[in-house]
Order: sequence, then C-alpha cells, then structure tokens
Amino acid sequence: MRILRLIVAELNYHWVNTLMGVLGLAIAVGLLVSVRMTSQASERETRRVMRDMGFNLRIIPKSTDMDHFWANGFSDQTMPGETVKKLAAQRGVFVSFNHLTPTLEGRIELGGRMVWVTGIGETIVSAVDGRQPMGFRIKPGEIFMGWAVAQRMGVKRGGSVELGGKRFQVERVLAEGGTDEDVRVFLALKEAQSVLGQPGRINEIKAIDCLCLTADKDPLAMLRKVIETALPEARVLQLRTLADARAKQRQMAERYARLMVPMVFVVGLVWVGVLGWLNVRERRVEIGLWRAMGHGSGRIAGLFLGKAALTGLVGGLMGYALGTWVALRFGPGIFQVTAKGLVPEAGLWVRVALVAPAFAVLASLIPTMKAMGQDPAEALRAD
Amino acid sequence: MMICEQVERRFQARGLEVVALGGVSLEIERGEFVVIRGPSGCGKSTLLLTMGGMQRPSAGRVVVSGRDLYAIPAAERNRVRSQEIGFVFQLFHLIPYLTVRENVLAGIPSGEEQKGASVDELLGRLGLTGRAGHRPGTLSAGERQRVGLARALIKKPAVILADEPTGNLDPINAAEVFWHLAEFRRGGGTVVVVSHGEDAGAHASRTIWLRDGRIVPGEEARTGVAT
Repeated sequence: MRILRLIVAELNYHWVNTLMGVLGLAIAVGLLVSVRMTSQASERETRRVMRDMGFNLRIIPKSTDMDHFWANGFSDQTMPGETVKKLAAQRGVFVSFNHLTPTLEGRIELGGRMVWVTGIGETIVSAVDGRQPMGFRIKPGEIFMGWAVAQRMGVKRGGSVELGGKRFQVERVLAEGGTDEDVRVFLALKEAQSVLGQPGRINEIKAIDCLCLTADKDPLAMLRKVIETALPEARVLQLRTLADARAKQRQMAERYARLMVPMVFVVGLVWVGVLGWLNVRERRVEIGLWRAMGHGSGRIAGLFLGKAALTGLVGGLMGYALGTWVALRFGPGIFQVTAKGLVPEAGLWVRVALVAPAFAVLASLIPTMKAMGQDPAEALRAD
Repeated sequence: MMICEQVERRFQARGLEVVALGGVSLEIERGEFVVIRGPSGCGKSTLLLTMGGMQRPSAGRVVVSGRDLYAIPAAERNRVRSQEIGFVFQLFHLIPYLTVRENVLAGIPSGEEQKGASVDELLGRLGLTGRAGHRPGTLSAGERQRVGLARALIKKPAVILADEPTGNLDPINAAEVFWHLAEFRRGGGTVVVVSHGEDAGAHASRTIWLRDGRIVPGEEARTGVAT
C-alpha cells in the first residue's frame, strides 16, 4: 500500500493531533513571516525617518581649519567637484558610505543680511541596492529658502529673490526646523559655485554611514580608514547623535529578531516534537503490526517523517498566509510613512514550503527514532 | 518447517531475572495444526512471537523453512515474515484509520500485491464483502477477527501464528475462526495457535502444554484430526 495513502488516512483519522500540529506550525511560521515583514517595514521606516533627519557624515578637505569650520559651519578649503565621483568609484566605498552628495557652502549677502548658501549637487547612491537618493533636488534657476530668511524678506513660494546678481524663483519655503537650515538658502550646485565665486569646486561631501555598528566598535575609526585609502586629501566627521540613533534603532531591531526567531524555533520544535511523541505512543500497536507484517525501519520512519513533512508543508503555507495577512492588516497602521512598501515578499512562500517541512521533520526525528527502536513484541502481546 | 532448539527467553524485571522460556525445543511439520496450551504467563505468547521472528531469544535457535531466523540479517528476517508468516492476534490489532479492504491489503508487502490472493474473493469467503469500505471501529468483534484473519491469509503464507485468536469472541465466532484456520491447513498451510481454552483442541493435530516456560513432558498429545 502506498505510504502517502497511509499518511493521509492517518492524518485524517487522528485529526486532533493533525490539527494541533498544523496549527502549531502555522502559528510559528506566521509569527516568523509577520516579524520578518514588519521588521523590514520597520527598517524602511527608520531609514526614511533617519533620511529626514539628514546626513550624518561630513567629508571635508583635510586642510580645513577646524576652528573656522565650527565657527562658520563650512570648510574654508575646497576640493574639485569631481572628488565625489572619485570617491564613489573606489571599491568598497558603499559598504561604509552612501548617498554621497557634493556641496559648496558659503555666506553671502541677501536682503541686507548675510545668509548661508548651500549648493547641492547630484547625489550618488550605491548602484547595488537601488535606493532613492536622499536630500533636495534643486533645478537651475530655483531656490529653496529657509523659514527665517523667507519670513524676514516676506517671500513666499512662487516669488523671486536676487542673489549674487542673479534672480532665482522661490520654489519652496522650508518648514521651520529650529536648526540653522532656517537661515540658509539652497541652490543647485553649479549656481552656488557661480554666486560664491568658486566654479567647479566643492567644500564638503555629505553622506550617510551604513555601518550601524555596536557601541563597543568605533565606526568613526573604520570610516576614517576607508577615507584614508579612498580619498587621502579629505577627512570625515561624523554627527554622532544621528549616527548613534540610526545604529541603535537597527541594533534594537536585530536584537528583537535574535530573540524572537530562536524562541519561535524552540517552541515550534518542542511543540511538534511532543505531538510526534504522543503520536508514536498512540500508534505503538500499529508500529508493532507493521513489523509483524514484515516491514522494516524504513517504512516506520517513512510513516512518521512523511507525516511530519506533510504537516510542515500545510502548516508552513498556512502560516505564510497568516503571517502575510497579519502584516498587511496591521502593518500599515504601525508603519504609516512607508505603508505602501508593505507587500508580500516574492519567493518567501517557496522558502517556507521548503523550510517548514524540513523543520517539522527535524522536530520529529527523536519520536521517529523511538518508533523505530520500539520492541514490536511488547506492543503486540495480549497478556 | 519450523524448528525451535533450546529456545530461552530471559529478561530483568525490577532487578529480578524472569525466565519466560526455559529451553523449549519443538519441531513442527508442514501442514500441522499445533495448539500450544497452558496457563496465563507460562510463555505461550513469547514462544509464538519468538517463532515468528518478532522477539529475539536469549539463547537457542528458531529455524523457519531452513533459515535460522535470528542468524540472518534483519532485512531478510523481515522478508521471511512478510512472505511466509501470517499473524493473528487476540486483540485483532487492525489499523483504525484504514478500511477493511485496506487493512487486508496492508498484509501484502509493497510491490508484491500481485502475489496476494484476490482481496475481494477473500472478503467474500470470510463474509466481509459488505464491510469492505468500513473502518474497524464499526465492526463487531467477530468481523474484526475475520479481517485479521484475511490480512494474514492475503499473502498466502506458509504458516499462520495465532495468539489467542478467539480470546475475545463468542463461541459461534470462535468456531468460525477455527473453521477458517482449519481450511487454511487443508490448503497445505501450517497453523500454530496459542490458546488457554479447549476450543482449539478439536482442530489440532497436536497439542503442546507449556508451564513456567517449559514444555510439560508427557502431556504432548497427537489428536489425529483428519487433514
């Protein structure tokens, strides 16, 4: 008789055991799938929030006078505009840095007062992960104005201002941020170079670090080592508050996953293992009978491991559906900024369909060995 | 056909050695109907299971059709069991999740289905045709034992080892079971029945008495029932 027929008939007959096994696996897989989907959503959300918080790395010319830098907010030295492309072309740079944005900053008179001007160039991102460049994109002839500057000058979006002898259309007035952005104006890099009298030059590359290291490791030392090799004429400064917040959030997510995943695995293993053990006990006589009819250990193992694999497959796929539903149903309420990014992960169901049966088989190994080693005579004797 | 030579079975229970079989020697010819009798706990079932290759003796040999059952590899022993030996149990031991028909078919080793007797013909002979699609839980005790018998017969074994096959049956059903066992013997098969009752005696070609794990000398009797 075909073993699959035996397994299906037994699953049907011992439906309570089957239901408990399938539900246990479905809940375990569902938890893992929903945790995975929401963790990814959490990471996306964090990345977006951190992106909104701004860059956390400043790469400036090595010869910068740091007293001037901290007193004025920008470097007194400049680098060629191509420096950013040179940095981006270095092997392995995007392991440590991303969103490389060339800028030129300086001060200029606007409406009778000195303001900061920031020229922003094209952001270069890693080609591998396909992320969208962060930061402003400013077209030639346009200006983004800080809230305080716009208030002082009584300028609104759609208006125009003259800067360095050239007229710019106010494309955007930034919301009040409570930072020095409130007293800045932002231009396209080329136009900033023109109004500041520094054609083809930049004095800073802004970036985000991708290391997300733990507190006991020094990310700055590693970043400096990379810059030393890739761009020896520059130095890197790290805005620790932003970098640490980013790293801590990511580490928290990783710690959560490190706790959840093994816990779900262990609980799932024990659950399936105990059910398997009970099933073996319940089927003692049947096992003895198969032996009496001349079947070897292979048939016994096939009956129990095959059952585990089938239960794992059904439970796994149910768990995938359950976990996906939970993530899609409740995720958008939690991760409101990146809600649209919450979609079923392509190919995950295939991995679940492979891993869940293997997991159930692993959990059933000990009960199966018990079944194979059972003395059939003890089970079959009447007295 | 079957030879037991000084078969012993000893085991430890709560630190004490229990002798289930204390050196049983026995020879059963093809076509015999042997009844093993004795009080409860005298070792009848242990002897039967040992003869069927289900329980390794502590000492001695069991030879079935010229093969020393416990000297050959386990896989070959399984093959002997699956092809030559049919078991019938007091508690029927049917597989609860299979139908009657499937329980009977389970008696045939995988891949050797064509060697088995026609399951429908067998079910008809045992009066189970109408029950073929039922599960064991819906059958009477007599029907269950006939299913157990059909499962043993389906592979056309050389010998049937029956452990108290009528222990849970009323006299009418018991008589029917023995009638089918005798029929199997008439077809050239060998039957060994363990029983502590007297109902099997009418069909026996020989009765062996067992007490405290040993054959009782002088109480072995040939009944001379016609084959």
